[in-house]
Amino acid sequence: MRFSVYQVSRRGGREKNEDRMGYCYTRDSGLFALADGMGGHPEGEVAAQLALQTLAAMFQRDAKPTLREPMRFLHEAIIAGHHQLLRYATQKALIDTPRTTVVACVLQGNSAYWAHCGDSRLYLVRGDKLIARTRDHSYSELQETMSHVVPMPERFNRNVLFTCLGSPGKPVVDTVGPLLLQSGDRLLLCSDGLWGTVSDAIITEQLARNGIADAVPELVEMALRNGGAKSDNVTVLAMEWESAEDHDTGAGVSTQSLGEEVFASTIQASMLGEAPADELDDAEIERSIREINEAIKRSSQKKS
Amino acid sequence: MSKPKPAPLPSGTVVGGYQIIKKLAAGGFGVVYLAEDAERHLVAVKEYLPSSLAERAPGELTPRVKPEKQPLYRLGLKSFFEEGRSLAQISHPSVVSVLNFFRENETVYMVMNYLQGDTLQDFIVTARDLKRDKVFRESTIRSLFDEILRGLRIVHQHKMLHLDIKPANIFITNENKAVLLDFGAAREVLSKEGNFIRPMYTPGFAAPEMYRRDGTLGPWTDIYAIGACIYACMQGYPPNDSPQRIEKDRLALSLSRLRNVYSDNLIEVTEWCMSLDPLSRPQSVFSLQKELARETERRYTKLSFSERLKLQLENLTAKS
Repeated sequence: MRFSVYQVSRRGGREKNEDRMGYCYTRDSGLFALADGMGGHPEGEVAAQLALQTLAAMFQRDAKPTLREPMRFLHEAIIAGHHQLLRYATQKALIDTPRTTVVACVLQGNSAYWAHCGDSRLYLVRGDKLIARTRDHSYSELQETMSHVVPMPERFNRNVLFTCLGSPGKPVVDTVGPLLLQSGDRLLLCSDGLWGTVSDAIITEQLARNGIADAVPELVEMALRNGGAKSDNVTVLAMEWESAEDHDTGAGVSTQSLGEEVFASTIQASMLGEAPADELDDAEIERSIREINEAIKRSSQKKS
Repeated sequence: MSKPKPAPLPSGTVVGGYQIIKKLAAGGFGVVYLAEDAERHLVAVKEYLPSSLAERAPGELTPRVKPEKQPLYRLGLKSFFEEGRSLAQISHPSVVSVLNFFRENETVYMVMNYLQGDTLQDFIVTARDLKRDKVFRESTIRSLFDEILRGLRIVHQHKMLHLDIKPANIFITNENKAVLLDFGAAREVLSKEGNFIRPMYTPGFAAPEMYRRDGTLGPWTDIYAIGACIYACMQGYPPNDSPQRIEKDRLALSLSRLRNVYSDNLIEVTEWCMSLDPLSRPQSVFSLQKELARETERRYTKLSFSERLKLQLENLTAKS
């Protein structure tokens, strides 16, 4: 399996960035996820982090090295994240539950599978065409869809969601897949900070015209610029699928050389909402040194 | 009286299989040595030894840290690791590369490529002392910064900012390659802005937001410093520091002296990079690269009579 991935998260004019993102992969399967912790409820950043950690932990457990049923996995892992949030709120005796949106995508075999809850989106661009986009679980998008059936008078605020993780009711999770991928397909996960101020047409055009390493920073900057001083946080994670036959470009991640047991992740598996201790102990120092040396080895291999 | 600086390791000492030849430099964070590896290749070894927190008597190997200074010492160690971690991920000819990282003498060491050459600062000083109307040729400046920006772009792609770009941190090797040095101030700030310690800055090259507690740092902060470096390459001296500029901005005026010596485009790019408002600068290295690479026909505009007059007046008032 080969793919390139590029991710950027930038704080807008908000006090903190409650967006989280990350990806993990085994030799034959990859999981990409993004969550946008919700303001107006406590600890949005914890909610986003917990949702991703739950996804990553379940992926690590189940992808051996492929997921047997990716669609079912996505649904279950997202619901499991929801239960983690409820448990967390109970444990900490919070009056309100932390809440988050989530969008997650699995690349496996030659196919993509994805699921989402809330208004974080997935875009799939092939050539210069938008092939797929998730529909937000917001009243405004619902209204657009329903307007042909039931006319509704006033416009809803796009920010009001009817479902998310951590809400009292059971979250609505939409799953899509399998969708057969072609080499060069680009997938983009983003928080509403991006699509709130940058149109689908521009997102598509950027992904079509530039490599993800140029398109993603460009889009994020556009969103921050358009958002102005009060801009929302903008988080974007994009990947480009490369078929196995593609020549080695040197860029991107190739999982071919990984053993069956290997699991790599950018999602930190720190304990539930615990702030990482500031002081380093000896084990931590040793681990840091080991990690740095592994990174050095990887970079020098890439070079040669 | 200030307390003595910790002593560097004596020449000949072997740490982690590297034999120390001599001390190259010492900063607040530690000491950089020239050393030789087992195959007798030259390397640079950076030792974590914060001068304000650690003590070491001459001849001793292990630094002593007073118990009350331990937490800060460990916190600094974290930054040292961050520098290592950042550099380890980047493999680019324009960014200094890390070869090894190890622990000994109860502190840590980072082994880097030893580069032979001089800093851009040295070149600027030598060139300006020749007292020609140009410090560097325009084509030299363009190709030099094209190289540096390639490296900086990779740094930003790894969600890091350098935050201390200045001619003294740009190294020109004897093979004529430009390399970005000293990531001691680099922080992974694009992803976690919460627990971020504001690094030290160099006047003249530090963007105005570096001076403010609440200033949002970003690629544009490094881009300001790049602009200041280009300025120094044209003028031979660093620009005024940004607090001074906020009070009275003479940048446009001093750049106008360079008109007809350097192309309008290069002067405009410099001014663009050095906008006091972060949002008015190029927002990414990419957009700056595009502008610098635009090798259209260079236009030179002479100063008009009134502009020359203004310059003379400015000189008079500066003298009085």
